[in-house]
Amino acid sequence: MEATSEPLLDAKSEVTNQLVDFQWKLGMAVSSDTCRSLKYPYVAVMLKVADHSGQVKTKCFEMTIPQFQEKKITNGLTFIPQLY
Amino acid sequence: MDFAEQSCKLPTLTSEEALPPRSPWCFCTGYLGTSRPPWRGKAQLLWGAGPSQSMAAGEFEGGKPLNGLLNALAQETFHGHPGITEELLRSQLYPEVLPEEFRPFLAKMRGILKSIASADMDFNQLEAYLTAQTKKQGGITSDQAAVISKFWKSHKTKIRESLMNQSRWNSGLRGLSWRVDGKSQSRHSAQIHMPVAIIELELGKYGQESEFLCLEFDEVKVNQILKTLSEVEESITTLISQPN
Repeated sequence: MEATSEPLLDAKSEVTNQLVDFQWKLGMAVSSDTCRSLKYPYVAVMLKVADHSGQVKTKCFEMTIPQFQEKKITNGLTFIPQLY
Repeated sequence: MDFAEQSCKLPTLTSEEALPPRSPWCFCTGYLGTSRPPWRGKAQLLWGAGPSQSMAAGEFEGGKPLNGLLNALAQETFHGHPGITEELLRSQLYPEVLPEEFRPFLAKMRGILKSIASADMDFNQLEAYLTAQTKKQGGITSDQAAVISKFWKSHKTKIRESLMNQSRWNSGLRGLSWRVDGKSQSRHSAQIHMPVAIIELELGKYGQESEFLCLEFDEVKVNQILKTLSEVEESITTLISQPN
């Protein structure tokens, strides 16, 4: 049963999700029980994603700064608008 | 039996660390059983010759066996690959050493490696720390210190990375792939050339299988994300430029 209103994006398959919200924070790991001198900054991200049925899930993950700055992420995404 | 008793009355070990966990007898009986002299330094100590040097320091070689030992310890302690038993290490790297003597030695090396990694020592701190270890009772030889120093210098980055991974209890971003599809037509509309960005994130917790998250973005969303990413970038720049 197809909906009569056009969805903004035809989801190709059930596994593709839409991003509903993107929250981030910059943290600093200082010390831990296994390593007294951690001292590394990291980016923590919380994504809210909706699947094809509209169910919203939360996904959290972290990246180190070098990972965040990796060309793949920024270059890849900045390339996309050029295609529109 | 008399001979055994007599041997054990010779110059004794000065450090508690060097003593095997069980009675001093096993030290003598093990030694007496061999037909050839055991490791360097021990013969001198038993027969009363030579300076009184800490047993643990004198009896274990540095060089390749120690390097192998440190590698095994790093695998187990930092990189999450346990399963290398004490007995396997001993028989492969120090076959002439008794298990009772090997155990405290292994514990000492493990302790030293953990201390160095925990403090994330730079090279100055490392030299100072290892020098102190060579000077103390039941410490290490300068040969062993040199091997440990070389090991830390070449493995520091990897060990640190493992420690960082272990301390991250959220999922980490293991990989990111993206693709842009050009939708030409669909059943509902005759739209031509509506690009859709598809990004696949590979996420995973330490020691667990990866989870894949696939997201679709239109042009508006992509620009929003890019704006957010530049805000994060700005924040990072501010943080890094601040003095500690």
